[in-house]
Amino acid sequence: MSAPATAGASLPDGVVDAAIRWSVKIDFNRAAPETLAAFQQWLAADPLHRQAWERVGSLRGDFAKLPSRLAMSTLQAVDSRRRTDGAGRRQAMKLLSLAGIALFAGWTARDHAPWQRLVADASTATGEQKTLRLADGTVVVLNTDSAVSADLAGERRLITLHRGEIMIATGPDDEAAARRPFWVRTPFGAMQALGTRFVVRLDDGRARVSVQEGAVELHPASGNGGAIVRAGESRWLADNGSEIAETHGFAEGAWVDGVISAQDMRLGDLIAELARYRSGRLGCDPRVADLPVSGTFHLRNTEQALHFLAQTLPIRLTYRTRYWVNVGPAADG
Amino acid sequence: MRTRPVKSSDCANSSVEALYRDHSTWLRGWLRRKLGNAFDAADIAQDVFIRILGRQQPPQPAEPRAYLSSIARGLVIDHWRRRELEKAWLETLAALPEAQAPSPENRLLLLEALVAIDRMLDALRPPVRQAFLLAQLEGLTCPQIAERLGVSLSTVERHIAKALRHCYEVQFAA
Repeated sequence: MSAPATAGASLPDGVVDAAIRWSVKIDFNRAAPETLAAFQQWLAADPLHRQAWERVGSLRGDFAKLPSRLAMSTLQAVDSRRRTDGAGRRQAMKLLSLAGIALFAGWTARDHAPWQRLVADASTATGEQKTLRLADGTVVVLNTDSAVSADLAGERRLITLHRGEIMIATGPDDEAAARRPFWVRTPFGAMQALGTRFVVRLDDGRARVSVQEGAVELHPASGNGGAIVRAGESRWLADNGSEIAETHGFAEGAWVDGVISAQDMRLGDLIAELARYRSGRLGCDPRVADLPVSGTFHLRNTEQALHFLAQTLPIRLTYRTRYWVNVGPAADG
Repeated sequence: MRTRPVKSSDCANSSVEALYRDHSTWLRGWLRRKLGNAFDAADIAQDVFIRILGRQQPPQPAEPRAYLSSIARGLVIDHWRRRELEKAWLETLAALPEAQAPSPENRLLLLEALVAIDRMLDALRPPVRQAFLLAQLEGLTCPQIAERLGVSLSTVERHIAKALRHCYEVQFAA
């Protein structure tokens, strides 16, 4: 084996250029015998020549390892995508991180190579919702201002909720040899879905779990106070245990259909709920916060919802700016 | 509380600590706006500080945020490039018959090699890159490439020399 060129020692430009010219003649062309003879003379003329020649040759090492067809088509695909995307590249990258989930999951369902455990992820901005279809058939809907990552590579399927709220309808996991357990992780503990559709929402220091179909088993982070939540029930999951969640006056999971469906809901709670879907500040005066409200309010148009409330209740909207709205009593000057 | 002996590197670390304390939240926010998600932002922010810790000289930037964002910008571009490449790689694999697919153990190694090549060839103009890849990956000679691309032999040889020179700079220039 030849000794590797001393790292860091720089060779004269002229010598490197000469080595490259020889490489083009010999490695990248079919060289005539007299060319090869001339090359041997050059190589023997100076130890620096040999050093430069070895360095230039080493540049080809990375390529030699690759199956040519795979590497070529990958590099060409990425090349042409970069060319066509141009300015829209940042946008494309955003989409890509979503498309990546399905793609990654498609592979990871099949085998468990370490690099495929790379975590795919998605997030939404305020007022935005997104639906993800994972390769195991699971549907995850992200509500406003939410973030999740999905890891379907291992012995179990795992969704991590980092921020906000998600609805999950677990999929059949047909690609896997046997249906793998499905887990959702939150900062306060984890839960295992038992064939199901449910909503998880992060709150201050706890997470609200509401089950629409099937059941979910809660595992608080401390390991104590686990419980099973059945269809139609809601529970708070905290790191030291869990407890039944009081109803909050609106249908769990209706946000998936883009609405809040309120039934005798406190106005203060409704305003707080609407505020999640808006940028800026939306406040409610305590003097009107206990007014009961019923009705269906569209999340995509919270402005319209506010005006509807102002017409039907003794309240008044005060705009400090477009993004700073206060809901107060109608009589208030 | 633990105490530990004072080492010379503590001085460098303390200036990094100050950078971290005063600006890491800002940096994560800046990255999140660039990337549109908080996890990648947190990862890359982490990488920025790891990179700074790895430097010989303790950083004493006059403009700490400009300093941090200039490092972060490079890492964001790498991140995007890598994501693009991973996607193209997965698509290529997906189009392949099962029998021809590389083994799972090899896939990671191959992807890493592709990332290294992609980074190395980044600065090359597309025709240069194209000619070089045909030579390196498909083993075509310069006359064959000239024919394939419909350009003259001397153009192809110039492209190859330019690509080699560039790779050399990337690999060996101090």
